[in-house]
Parts: sequence; C-alpha cells; structure tokens
Amino acid sequence: MAVRLEDDPTPLVCIIATKLRRAARTPELAVRMRAMRGVAALRSTVDPQAVTLRFEADGVTVSRGVAPDAEVVISADLMKMSDPDAPKPKVSGAARKPKFALSLAKVLEPPVGTWQEEARAFWAFASQHPASPRGIRVVCLEGGELVLGTEPVEYELHGKAAALLALFSGDTVLGEELLAGHLYAVGSLQHTAELTGRSLAWMMGG
Amino acid sequence: MEPESLEAWLDQHAIHSVRTEGVTVDGLVIGKVLSRRKFTKSLPLGNAITELVFGYDVGGTPYLAWWNEWRRDALGDYHQQPDLDTLVAPRFSPGQARCIVDHVDLQGNPLPVCPRSILRRLTDRLAGLGFQAKAAFEIEFMVFTESRAQARRQGFRNLTPLTLPRALGYHIDNTAMATRYMDEVCRRLDELGVPWEAWHDEAAPGQLEINVEPADPITAADHALRIRQVTREVAHEFGHTVTYMAKPNEEYGNGLHVHHSLQRDGSAAFYDDARPDHHSELLERWLAGLMATINGAVSVMAPTVNSYRRMVGWAAAPVTPSWGEDNKSTAIRLLTRSPGATRIEHRVAAADANPYLVLATVFAGGLAGLAEPIPLPAPLAPAGWGLPPSMPHLPATITKAADAFAADARLREQLGAAFTDYWVNTRRWEWLMFNTTGGDASATEVGDWERNRYFEVM
Repeated sequence: MAVRLEDDPTPLVCIIATKLRRAARTPELAVRMRAMRGVAALRSTVDPQAVTLRFEADGVTVSRGVAPDAEVVISADLMKMSDPDAPKPKVSGAARKPKFALSLAKVLEPPVGTWQEEARAFWAFASQHPASPRGIRVVCLEGGELVLGTEPVEYELHGKAAALLALFSGDTVLGEELLAGHLYAVGSLQHTAELTGRSLAWMMGG
Repeated sequence: MEPESLEAWLDQHAIHSVRTEGVTVDGLVIGKVLSRRKFTKSLPLGNAITELVFGYDVGGTPYLAWWNEWRRDALGDYHQQPDLDTLVAPRFSPGQARCIVDHVDLQGNPLPVCPRSILRRLTDRLAGLGFQAKAAFEIEFMVFTESRAQARRQGFRNLTPLTLPRALGYHIDNTAMATRYMDEVCRRLDELGVPWEAWHDEAAPGQLEINVEPADPITAADHALRIRQVTREVAHEFGHTVTYMAKPNEEYGNGLHVHHSLQRDGSAAFYDDARPDHHSELLERWLAGLMATINGAVSVMAPTVNSYRRMVGWAAAPVTPSWGEDNKSTAIRLLTRSPGATRIEHRVAAADANPYLVLATVFAGGLAGLAEPIPLPAPLAPAGWGLPPSMPHLPATITKAADAFAADARLREQLGAAFTDYWVNTRRWEWLMFNTTGGDASATEVGDWERNRYFEVM
C-alpha cells in the first residue's frame, strides 16, 4: 500500500504518513487500507494544522489542509491524541460513510509494541546518526531497564512505561517530554539535543 | 584604531560606557553596555557573552534538536571581540560609545557561525587572489505611525503608514511626510559615520529606502547593521514603529538588494573595454558562480517563512534563477555602462536577511566561479515574471531553499561545513516552528504568526 506525501510536506503530513506506513506494515490494517476509498481530513482544534488523506486504489496521498471534498473530518488536539486523558475527537461525516470512518480511526492508531520493542526500533534508527550517544540505558520507573548500543552508556532515560512507549513509538518528542517532566535524563545537553532531533525525525518518518 | 590609542580616544570623547554590537545568523544585534573600565579591561578578547545566544531562535525558543561541535556542552561563554575601527562616539548618545564586535571562542578564534567573521574570511580569500571588493546595500523598510506598544496591541495589523496609504514610489508628498523622521535618522547616521547618499519614498505605503556609498564588504554590512538600529531607535523616540519584515502586509515587500564589484590594482575587474558588451572574462566566471549557487543562496537571502511571501511574480522581487543586463526583473542585474559604474546588483535578498551573510553568500558563489570553470547560462531577455512553471524558478519555500543550500557543495566549501549545517538546521527549525506553533501552512497571505514573530525583531 503506497503512502504518498505532497510536495514540500508539512510536519503533520509527515507525521500522519508515518502512522499510515506503520498501519500498512500491519497485515490486518493493510487489508483494511487497501479497501478504503474516499477522502478524509484531520483538523487541529488548537491551531491551523490540518491534513487531507485521499484513499485510492493505488494508495493513499497525504497533503496539507482540509480538502473541500473531504467526506469525513476528524477535529481534535492532534498533538494530544495519544494522551490517555485526551478529549474525544469530533467526527463529521461518519454517518454517511461509517465503514470508511471506522477504518480511518483504526489506521490512524496502528498497534505498537511494548516500550522495549519500540525502543529497539527507535535505537536502530537513532544510532545511525554519528552524534548520537554510543549507548543508552532506558529505565522504566515501574520496573525494568534496557541497555541499547555499546558500553559505556553515555545517556540515560527514565520514565514510566507509557511515556517511554509514546516517545519510542514516535508519538512524542524527547525535548518536550523532558520539559514537561514526563521523562528524565542523565546525560549531556549535546546528547539531549541530538536525541531530541532523532525523536523528531522518527516521528516524521526518518 | 590601535589599542594604544584607545584611552586617549575615550578621554577625548568623554566616554563612560561602550555598547557592544554583535550579530547572530538571524541578524539580531546582541551585546552589552559595558562600563569604560570593563570595556578596556576585557580587551583584546572582549566581553563574555553566553553561548546560548547562538542556541535559540528569533522567537526565543532554544534549538533543541541538534548540536554543533563548536558549542559548549555546559552552556559556557563566548566573547564579543571589539573591532576598534568601528568604535564611534555619536553625539546623540553622549558618553556612550558603540562598537561592533566579532564573536570568538575562549582562545579568540572566530566562531563558525559569526556572520561578520564568515564575511571577513571570504573577503580575505578574495584579497588573496588579488581582488578588492566593494559593496553597497539598498536598505528598504517600512515606518508606521503607531508606537511599538500600540502596533503590538493591534497584532501589527491595519497600521498607519508614515506616508500616503497607497503604493506610489518616489512621491515627493510622501517624502515630505517622512522628512522629519528621516532628517533625524540621517543626522544620526552622519554621527555614526555611515555615508548615506540618498533616501526616498519606495513603492509600498510607509516604505522608505536608504542608499549608502560603496565600501569594503565588512564596512558595507556594518553600515546596514547601523542603519537598521538607527531607524528603529528614531522610530521609537518618535512614537513610530519600523519593520524589516520581508512582507508585513499585502503591499510590496522589503528587499535588501546588494551591489558589488571587484577591483584589481585599482581597476574595475568586471569591465573590459575591448569587448563589445564590456563584460570581462572575470565577470563572466564570477557570474557563472553566482548563477550556479543561486538556488542554495536563496536560503540565506530569504531566511524566514515570511521572506517567501515577497518572492511572488509581478511583485518586484525576483522569482527565477536569472541574470540580465540592466534587467530589474532578474535575480542578478548587470550594470556595465562604464568602468566606474560597473557592478552586479544581486536582487534576491529580502530585508529580513542578514547583510553579512548575504554578502558572504554572494562572494561564496563568485569565488566558486573563479575556482572552477562553470558554464554561464544565457541572460534572460524577457521579463522574469509570469514565466511558465516549466521554466526554472527559485526555491519558493524555506524548506526547498534549505534543501538547495544543503545540497550545494560549492557554498558549503566556501562558507564552511559548520556554518552550513547550523544554517540548514535553523531553517528547518523555523519551518517546524511555523507549522507547529500556530502558523498556517495553507495560507496564501501574511498571517498573524509571521507578524508576531518577525515584525519587531527583523
């Protein structure tokens, strides 16, 4: 299932395309995506960010803005959709295309692994960058830790499993999570900056 | 000025403090007001300044997405090394001198992202080849009669231009309306030693332009820096507000055209009397370098999201990678009427661009043309606006331009890898900030996000 981006995509276009690619790698969702036909849009309730998703026989195209022919429009605080206490999104047009709307909701929330599985996938990406630390230790405050890369460990990340999962699965950005106090770090500013950059890139598809 | 003459100079002008003025890549002027004792004591390295000033954007948000080798991990200090040749004692600030500085590390080495040092390096490179460059900027800006506070309250919208609220240009009634303000600006420029030649009413309501005598490149950029400061300071005292935003409203935008020429042994190196078009071989090689690097250069010359609002067809700004003989619709305009007047006008830069980096990028392109043979494309004969999409166009967004800059090996070689990487990261960051902090990526007109971010600081 091809996921195409508009020329010169916005960050939200990249983020949504990354989610769709993850969904397309999941067999059940890939089947669902291939059957989807129609135009959907996601609109932020807190700023002008918006994307249109055009599902066609040969793939899905993601572009900025809300297209006039969007049949299903989801309005939400897009940056907080993965929060456990996020308000329920408003959906318009679902009554006319209920199956399409249901599939849309599913493919926009593809399944993720455990925080350890997601951490390994993130690290496989982030460690390619020459400025990343050689090794990181991830400590789950609810128990368990994981060492990635090579010793000596140059950076430590601590947090609850949900925050670690959100970061490593590309739902949140390291710097913001540190500022918000959802995650803690032991390491240099240099590595914090570089890993924040990697987490941003990870969120937007690498 | 030699350091040993400094105390006598400070005595002569009854100086009790010195304002240091350094420039960031975004063109923001940063510095301190130092007591005379502190200023002299801190020489030759200059006063310390936190390295964090190179680590945040024009909105004040720290760059937390990459690092640079030259940065200090614990957010230590760098220094503002005074260029004593720029020390001035204007009468309008009695007792307080002003001095332009370079940003250096603890050992006195120029920071790779110090725009003034980058320009000096390229100017020195030219000198090593036997050339002396001269340059002059055309400084465009807009003045509104609301105070800064009032303009802010209005969200920088629906402001009252200092001149008539309609696009005219060179209109003497407009000139008269701006005269009291501009007389004070020019008086102060005289005191600062900025050799202004002329000012006039420009095309947009409230838009003015100042022209300056050509000077060596560093001095030319210093002049631009000081003009920006003086126009702001006088506006503040008059209860007005000034902006160097590329496009603060839907009228014509603000540009920063720069003229430059090369001399060798006192002769115009771009001029060849023996050729019918008067183009010297050097000019054509230089021009080929400028053309080969122009797409990447756009990133430096159009540094903000707002810069690209100005670069639309039929709005006086160039939109194509083009050159032409006395053609103001092209990106690069050649003037070769006589040896003394022979020069290149680079017309891409917006007023929100950093003048040091604009000139450095121009010289980087020219030097690339001298370093290797590059084919010179044909001049653009027709108007450079309204051309079909199939013809080459300049990058039209901050991301496209950053990509072009990142991919340009010639610019990287001339401007340095450390600066190039930092610049590309900061432009992509600016795109991220625009999209994720309230900017509207689908908007075709100037938005509130842009005005709030750029109006007062650019």
